[in-house]
Amino acid sequence: MMINELVDISLFSRGGQFFMYGLLVVGVLLGISGVINLLRPRPVMERMTVRTLVVVNVVFIAGFLWICRLHYQIYCYLPLEMSEFLVGWFNQHIQGSGMPLLESSAPVRYTVPLWIENEKYYFWFMCYSMMSLAAHSRITRHRLRALLHIMLSGQVLLLFFWFDPFSQPLSGFFSEVQPWFAGSQTPMERLRLFMQLYPRMIYYYNASYMWIHPPMLFLSYACITITFVTSIFMLFVRDMTIENTGYDFAKLGFVLLTLGMLLGYPWALQAWGENWWWDPKICSSIMMWSIYSTYLHTRLYAARSGMWYFTSVMGILCFVSMVFTLLSSLYFPGEHSLQ
Amino acid sequence: MNSKNSYDYYLILATTVVLFIISAICICSMFYFKLENIQQLPMTVKAGYMNNMNTVMAPFLIALIVLLGICVPKRLLPSVWLNRFSAVLVLLAVIISIIWNVKVGLAFVLIVSAVLQVVVLLMALAGSKSLNFEKTGYWIRVGSSLLHLGLIMFILDVFFYRYPGLHLILFWLTTVSTTLGMVVCFYADSCGRLVKRTRNIFLRQGTKKE
Repeated sequence: MMINELVDISLFSRGGQFFMYGLLVVGVLLGISGVINLLRPRPVMERMTVRTLVVVNVVFIAGFLWICRLHYQIYCYLPLEMSEFLVGWFNQHIQGSGMPLLESSAPVRYTVPLWIENEKYYFWFMCYSMMSLAAHSRITRHRLRALLHIMLSGQVLLLFFWFDPFSQPLSGFFSEVQPWFAGSQTPMERLRLFMQLYPRMIYYYNASYMWIHPPMLFLSYACITITFVTSIFMLFVRDMTIENTGYDFAKLGFVLLTLGMLLGYPWALQAWGENWWWDPKICSSIMMWSIYSTYLHTRLYAARSGMWYFTSVMGILCFVSMVFTLLSSLYFPGEHSLQ
Repeated sequence: MNSKNSYDYYLILATTVVLFIISAICICSMFYFKLENIQQLPMTVKAGYMNNMNTVMAPFLIALIVLLGICVPKRLLPSVWLNRFSAVLVLLAVIISIIWNVKVGLAFVLIVSAVLQVVVLLMALAGSKSLNFEKTGYWIRVGSSLLHLGLIMFILDVFFYRYPGLHLILFWLTTVSTTLGMVVCFYADSCGRLVKRTRNIFLRQGTKKE
């Protein structure tokens, strides 16, 4: 049986395209109003902009619920079932390995996290969208609001053209599990395939840490983006309200980033042993954390002469290091690599 | 700038320089890792690469730990005593390193730092006015002390990660202390209000019972 027959992927893609086009329209509208507001001395189309921002958020959330539906279907319709004999044989061989034993009456099921492959960008940008709505309600300067909106619009464009989670949903995951559901193997081939799929399921897709470590980091990335926008604005305007807004998001982001990184540490030891020391992604994440903590420390002296600009430069550097950390997964090989 | 402030300033400057060098080494290592295709090479070669990088990094990590050991007592001691304390601490660490090895010397600095930080935390909790903090406010001081205790615990945890039992205890102490410290420090006003409100509720219930 093909996966498409078990989980309706084409329906998911068609439904997803509806959300993506919806996002594109409202995102472009928001970007246009952002550019106009940035160039004008007084706010323009204020009410329309707020409504568009709310609509962007609603579409993002609706799309996310659509993703949740796919993951629920994967849980329900894609169990890894094996005969009682193979289950018994497999259990004998994994005893003492630390992996949980199987039960033939209750086949193992995938609880795929909602932030893998392209879905992680969707989740991250959705978090930013919500936070920019929260920031929008706190600040009064229309140009700063415009910058937040332009940033969101850019993220929507990135999502639409490069990281669409709906056009080829979970392509990596489905290509991994496809052979299992093709169902044309001998029992021994099936067992061999299961021995490949099961550790990956336990240590990656179903790992409890995957529900804590990545979302915390993506939430913190969204906070860093808000701080970045306020820091850019601080280079031109000396206003403590803006600095405070950026700092409030930076605090939340730092708590989430630190906790997220910490909670990844024992899991990494368990899953990879000592192999991940000097992993490029870990190196760049630690650098990002150092820059972030430097920003929070320099911010204590922001009111002193010269420190205002230094603090804002540090805020910008946090964002640059975050982008570098993200790109490091694409460019550098290692345990976190997406190559 | 008084001597206390200049001492703080130079400590921060030294820490920043060490962190900057560590970051530069990290970036170089990332490109070396990529260009030499370390990921594709046999495990022994990879282990050799990690050992080499550890050797390159070691002096800066030692410097960072020593700086941490000097930074912690600055909350407790006046600058004259801080100088003396730092000199004694570094001297003892060097002597221990010569007698046993560098690891034991660093573990000594870390344990002394952890003990001192616990003292700082207890004094902050007791509301002591004699602690030297940049910021005033009870909850900020408590939060900052907890946060820095968490950082020391984290380094100790990395130090002892090969001992699973100890590692897990230190890890959870680190996580709880750091998270609680950040929340209390960053949201000091809200924490203060929450504690006040809870105390008032308990007091009101106590008066009703009487």
